[in-house]
Amino acid sequence: MKALNSRGMQAMVLLGAALLALPAVVHDTFVLRVLTEAIMWVGLAIAFDVIAGYTGYLNFGHGAFFGIGAYAIAILMMQGNLPFFLALPAGGLAAGVVAFIAGIPTLRLKGAYFAIATWALSRAIQQLALTMDMTGGPDGMRLTAFLNPQFFYYLMLITVGLTFIVLWYLLERAPFGLKLKAIREDEEGAKALGLNPTKLKMQAFILSAVPTGLLGGIYAYWITFIDPSSTLGDLVSDQAVVMVVFGGMGTLFGPAIGALLIFAFKTIFWAYLSDFQLLYIIILGALIAVSVIFIPNGLWGTLVRKKHDEVRPEHEIVAVAAPEEGS
Amino acid sequence: MAEPILKVNAVSKCFGGLTAVDDVSFQVHPGEIVGLIGPNGAGKTTLFNVISGYYAPTRGTVQFRGADIGGKPPYHLAGVGIGRTFQVVKPFAGLTVLENVVIASFLRHPRRADAERHAWQVLETTGLADRANISAAGLTLAGRKRLEIGKALALEPSFLLLDEVVAGLNPTEADKTVELILKLKSEGLTILIVEHIMRVIMNISDRLVVLNFGKKIAEGVPGEVSRDPQVIQAYLGEAPA
Repeated sequence: MKALNSRGMQAMVLLGAALLALPAVVHDTFVLRVLTEAIMWVGLAIAFDVIAGYTGYLNFGHGAFFGIGAYAIAILMMQGNLPFFLALPAGGLAAGVVAFIAGIPTLRLKGAYFAIATWALSRAIQQLALTMDMTGGPDGMRLTAFLNPQFFYYLMLITVGLTFIVLWYLLERAPFGLKLKAIREDEEGAKALGLNPTKLKMQAFILSAVPTGLLGGIYAYWITFIDPSSTLGDLVSDQAVVMVVFGGMGTLFGPAIGALLIFAFKTIFWAYLSDFQLLYIIILGALIAVSVIFIPNGLWGTLVRKKHDEVRPEHEIVAVAAPEEGS
Repeated sequence: MAEPILKVNAVSKCFGGLTAVDDVSFQVHPGEIVGLIGPNGAGKTTLFNVISGYYAPTRGTVQFRGADIGGKPPYHLAGVGIGRTFQVVKPFAGLTVLENVVIASFLRHPRRADAERHAWQVLETTGLADRANISAAGLTLAGRKRLEIGKALALEPSFLLLDEVVAGLNPTEADKTVELILKLKSEGLTILIVEHIMRVIMNISDRLVVLNFGKKIAEGVPGEVSRDPQVIQAYLGEAPA
């Protein structure tokens, strides 16, 4: 089992402390803003990994949960006059409820069919936001501005940090993660072992949606303007998919690293080559193809497996030399 | 004799126009090994899938310890004490051998540390302990069949359904598996086994149930059944006139 050793734990604590202390050193608003968004993408990627990596259900509509959280908070704050911190939990809740309702039909599907169904569903939700009065249609919604970069940096950091800890505990320490992997590996076989796939998949889908909705809500308040293409467009889902596949599905750390690398690339690309946005999408597409072909386990998965392989030969020799001895 | 642990009452299973299992009834008593045999396509695996909850019976009932279980989902049946293996083995290929068994152990040991401890015991019993940390995909066929038994045993069942766990093994491996099955019987487990290898099934079964074209054609102790003219005909074809 992949337990974090004490050195790994120390590294994580150090990283957390460094991130908490960062705004004391970094005063440049632009840098802080980039860091805040980088942290947000880490959160989106690890939440996506719950259903895609651990459970094996490639959700091409992950962005819908982000948009639903964003719109839920915008509507509650602007039309319900709720303060932000009362509206925020509703963002997570709304995403969770939609995951539950959407999961009932879609989680019966497998493989490409699930990917297509979730993609179509997210498109439908975007169309809803485009046509409804409540959401402002194509004009989107403007939120009361709260211009405090430090506040949003910390809020994003704490939300993503807690999400990481909760997911890491549930997926790597508690039985839940192994049960999800059993579903991913063989759903029919898992049933015979007392696992209820319908229930587990639903739990995973909701667990993936809730933090995503929260992040969408924070994003809306931070950016102060949302519209159907920025929060409910394809790009949020597509980037999450690339980050997780490139980083290594079903590993939590892989998607986090994938998110940082892809986001860094995106930031640099848009800073210097903003006239070629189409090229960015093409590179994203090429990257997913290349990583699926050459590093199917992703960056992190490939590194961990390398280490694993170095220890492995001795087991294989035992297995070959003494097929059933000592049994 | 004690109350039967399993009662199959007039069970039929149809797929469209095809009746794969046709009005089959038999009982299994506690502590018995009952062999389910028949030519290819006789409906053995379909019947297994009905008993283990993968198919609902089209007609008839299945009772386990007096409760009707026909159509109950497999994960419920695992909970009441039915463990099964699959003819086409279903290892969780991307996970280690240990993890495979730990997942099954969660049923009776919800805490991870307890489940792991229990899984190690099962790996010792099934002779897989030395391969605990390799990926299940790296096991030989014999190893995978062992792992199937291990996963079923980790559920701590009172009734075990074994679907061709010996077929495909070499004689030494086969003997090891037979030894294991007899050991499980001596520990009080009730077993229903499908097997093609007659040498094995004749030796370990207390009773046999014979299916042909979905129908039960014979039932009894191995010696009697192997002399039954209908059984001989099913396996060898029509006697020359």
